[in-house]
Amino acid sequence: MNLSLVDPFVLAQDCPEALTGRLRSGHSTSIRFSHRGDLLASGRLDGIVVIFDIETNGVARKLRGHTRQVQSLSWSADDRYILSASQDWKCVLWDLKDGSRVRTVRLESPIFIAELHPKNHLLFVAALFEEQPLLVDISSEIPQKLALPSAPLRPQIERDNATEKQAAQDAKQTSTVTVFTPSGDYIISGTNKGWMNIIDTSTRQVQYSTRVTSHLIIYIRTTSSGSHIVVNSSDRIIRTFNLPDLADPSHSFDTMRLEVEHKFQDVVNRLSWNHVSFSSTGEYVTASTWMNHDIYVWERGHGSLVKILEGPKEELSVVEWHPHRPFVAAVGVDSGRVYLWSILTPQRWSALAPDFVEVEENVEYAEREDEFDIQPIEELHKRRLDLEDEDVDVLTVEPGKTAEFQPGEFRMPVLLDIEGSDSEDEVVAVGAGQFRRKSPGAGRDWMNDETQASGDEARKAATANGSASARSNGTKRRRAE
Amino acid sequence: MESTERSPKRRRSTDGYVESPPRRRSLSRSPTHASPKYNLIERPARRSYSRADSDDEADRRYYRDRRSPRSTRSRSRRRSRSPSGTIATPPPDKPTQLHYKPHLILRGHKKGVAAVKFSPDGRWIASCSSDATIKIWDARTGELAHTLEGHLAGISTIAWSPDSKILASGSDDKSIRLWDVTTGQPQPVPLLGHHNYIYALAFSPKGNMLVSGSYDEAVFLWDVRAARVMRSLPAHSDPVSGVDFVRDGTLIASCASDGLIRVWDTATGQCLRTLVHEDNAPVTNVRFSPNGKYVLAWTLDSCIRLWNYVEGKGRCVKTYQGHINKKYSIGGAFGVYGTRDYLYAFVASGSEDGSVVLWDVSSKNVMQRLEGHEGAVLGVDAHPTQQVIVSAGLDRTVRVWRVEEGHGEAVAGPKIDREVETVVTEES
Repeated sequence: MNLSLVDPFVLAQDCPEALTGRLRSGHSTSIRFSHRGDLLASGRLDGIVVIFDIETNGVARKLRGHTRQVQSLSWSADDRYILSASQDWKCVLWDLKDGSRVRTVRLESPIFIAELHPKNHLLFVAALFEEQPLLVDISSEIPQKLALPSAPLRPQIERDNATEKQAAQDAKQTSTVTVFTPSGDYIISGTNKGWMNIIDTSTRQVQYSTRVTSHLIIYIRTTSSGSHIVVNSSDRIIRTFNLPDLADPSHSFDTMRLEVEHKFQDVVNRLSWNHVSFSSTGEYVTASTWMNHDIYVWERGHGSLVKILEGPKEELSVVEWHPHRPFVAAVGVDSGRVYLWSILTPQRWSALAPDFVEVEENVEYAEREDEFDIQPIEELHKRRLDLEDEDVDVLTVEPGKTAEFQPGEFRMPVLLDIEGSDSEDEVVAVGAGQFRRKSPGAGRDWMNDETQASGDEARKAATANGSASARSNGTKRRRAE
Repeated sequence: MESTERSPKRRRSTDGYVESPPRRRSLSRSPTHASPKYNLIERPARRSYSRADSDDEADRRYYRDRRSPRSTRSRSRRRSRSPSGTIATPPPDKPTQLHYKPHLILRGHKKGVAAVKFSPDGRWIASCSSDATIKIWDARTGELAHTLEGHLAGISTIAWSPDSKILASGSDDKSIRLWDVTTGQPQPVPLLGHHNYIYALAFSPKGNMLVSGSYDEAVFLWDVRAARVMRSLPAHSDPVSGVDFVRDGTLIASCASDGLIRVWDTATGQCLRTLVHEDNAPVTNVRFSPNGKYVLAWTLDSCIRLWNYVEGKGRCVKTYQGHINKKYSIGGAFGVYGTRDYLYAFVASGSEDGSVVLWDVSSKNVMQRLEGHEGAVLGVDAHPTQQVIVSAGLDRTVRVWRVEEGHGEAVAGPKIDREVETVVTEES
C-alpha cells in the first residue's frame, strides 16, 4: 500500500545499488528467498538451517537436524515447507508451522543440489556426486527413489553410428545439477560433460539434449516464468537460453533447438563464476565471482554488464535475487555473513510538512485573489464541512498484488523464544563483561537424536566446533577487556 | 471522586495545562504497585503546550495546495462488492440508525480503563487500566479469563498480535510487555528502550513487528522475536499519542500532540506524508481504515477527521462531530453494518460525556449514541466479524453492546442482559 506514496523515481529503479545490510547467524553456506520474499533461508556450516525475517533482519526460526554443511535449500510454493540438502548425505523436509521434520531422506552419496517440485512438496529431485540423479517421492514414510538418466539423448543417426566407446562414455556421465521447470512438468539437468538434458518428470525419460559446453555444468537456474534459463559452467562462461513454452501442445521436442542467447564472461580477467541467478523478472543476471569480491549484474535483454556490486572485502559464494524487489543477498565465503544490497531511498523533504514543495528552481509566488481576505472563522469551518460531501469507501480492498496474506495462506508463527545470535551460541555471558565457553556438546543434543552419523564423524564435528568456538571466544574476550 | 479525576490517559486542557503538576499524566501519580521512584518522574517541562493562540493563528496558516477545487475531486467508487448480476434490483435503503443494546457490563478494574480491544479472532476482550493490570475477558460470556499483572504503573495501551496469542501492553513504567494470552504469563524480557511513558502500540499484520509511540516523542519499531528496537523513527516534537499499521504492513501512521499525522514507510523508515489540519489541534489517536486507504484521526477540538493520505498532499475528506473530546486520548474503531451485499461502514468513538457515538462514514450523521458509562469513555472497539461493540472508560467498567438478531424497531430500553461482577479483593 506504500507504492502510491513512494517516489516514482525510486520505484523505477530495478537494480540494487548499494550494500545496505548484513545478516549473521553462524557461518552461512547457502541461502534462498521464500516465494513471498519475506523470509530468507540460510543453511549453515554446522548444519543448522536459519530462517531470517527480511523485514526485521532477525532470526525467525532455527531448524536443527543436519550434522554437516547445508548444500542447498528449496521452498515449497506456499512457503510452508523447506527442503534442505546437506553434506551429511541427507535431505530434510521441514514444516515451518512448527519447525518439525516431515521427512528425512538419506541418500547414498553427497548431494549437489536438491529441489522441491514446484507444485508438490512431497516430491523432489536431487543431483548426486558420482551417482545418477534421483527423483524422490516422499509422500509415504518410506521414500521412493527413482533414478533419472544422465546420458544425453542423441539423434537416431548418431545413435546408429555410435562407437562402443562413445556409448560407454555417455553411460558414465553424471548429472551435476537438476532443477524443475516452474510448471514442474520437466526437469532440466546439467551433466559433468557439459550436456543439458530436459527430462519429463512423469516418464523420467530424456526428451531433449543439447551440448552447451565441453566442461562441467555447475548450476542451472530458470526465471520464475520459465521463459529463460541461465547456465553456469566451469569454462568461465555464463550462458542464457530462451526456453520455449514446453506446455504448449504444438511444441515438439523433435524440432526444438536451444540456442545460446547471451554469453557472459570476463575476457580480461578470465574470472570464473561461483553462482548465478536471475532477477525477479528475469531481466538481469547476477553472478558472484571466484577469488574476487564483486557481484556482476548483466542486463539479459542486451547482454550488457550494467553494474558491479561491491562492498564486503571477501569472496562471495551464493548470490540470490529477491523474488520481487531490487534486492540482492549474497553469502561471504570467509565470514559466513549474508550481505544485502538494495536501493537507497533518500528522505523527501516535501513529505515532512504539507506546505513543503520540492522545486527545481525559484518559483514566483502568485497570491490568490482571496488569500488575505478576512473571513469569519465560523464561516470557514462551515464551508469546509459542507465541502465534505463525497462518498467515502473505507471497506473495499482493491485487489492487486499486495504483501498481505490471503485467508487460508500459510503464515509462519512468530516465535518469541529463539535463542540469540550466534556470537552467543558458543559463548555464554556469566557476568558483566565476562564470558565463558559453553561446555562442549551442550545444546547439541539434536545431533544425537538420530545416530546415523558414525561416531567418528560426530567426534570430528565436535572438535571442529570446539576449535571454532575457542576462536570466537578469544575475540569476545579481547573485546570485553 | 478522586479516582475518576485521575485520567488513565493524558489530559490536556485547552487552556494549556493550567494544573501545574499534571504535565505528566496523572495516571502514574499513584500506581498501585509502583515503586516510589516512579512517583518522582516528572515530565521534562521544557515546552509550553499552550494552544491558546492557535485559533488566531489558524487564519494565517494557509496550506494552499491542499484545498483543490471541487471539480477535481474524484468520486470514490461505490460498493464494488455489490453483485454485478442483479442490475435490476435497486440497492435497499441505507439504514439511518443502528440498534446496539447493552449486553454485558464487566466490572473488576480498580481504576479507570484506558483502552479495550477485541482479539482478532473475536474470542477475547482485553482491557487495560491505570490500576496497572490488564484483564482478558471472554467476548461471548464476559467471564474474566486472566488478570495480567506485572507492570509497575498504569497501562495506557494494548495491542493484540494477529494470531490472537500475544498481547502487547505499554505502560507508564516505560516498558512494553508481551503476554501469552493462553497462560496469562508475560515474556520474561520486557521491551525496554523508551525514556518515557508508552502511549500507543500496534502490531504489524504478520505479527513480527511492533510499533510503539511514547511520551518521549519517539516512534520505535520493534523486532518482536528478538525484543529489540529495529528502527527509531524521528517522528514528532511532542508526545506521540497514536500509532497504527496499515493492513499490509507497509505503512505506519503516527500522530502526536504537535498536531501532525505522519505516514511512514515501514521498510525504509522514511516519512512519506505529513497531514496537518489548519487548526493544528493536538492529535490523540490515529487509525487506518479497514481497506488502508484512509486515516482516521482524533483531535482535541472534539473532531474526528478522515484523511485521504494518498491524494495530493493529503486531504481531509470527512469531519465527524457530536462527541466531546477536549482532554483525553479517546479510542475508537471502524465497524460495519448493512447486509452482506450492501455493506456500509461506521465510525465508533468514545466521548467525554459518557456516551459512545456511532457515525456513518459517508454521511457523517450520528447513527446511534450508546449511553451508559458514567464519565469519559476512553476505549471503544468493534468486533472483527460480529455486530458487537465494546467500550470502557473512567467509570472502571467495560461494556459490551450488541445488535440483537433481527433487531426490532422498538428502541431498546436500558435493560441489561447480564451483569458480570468480578469480585475484587481489596488490598490495603
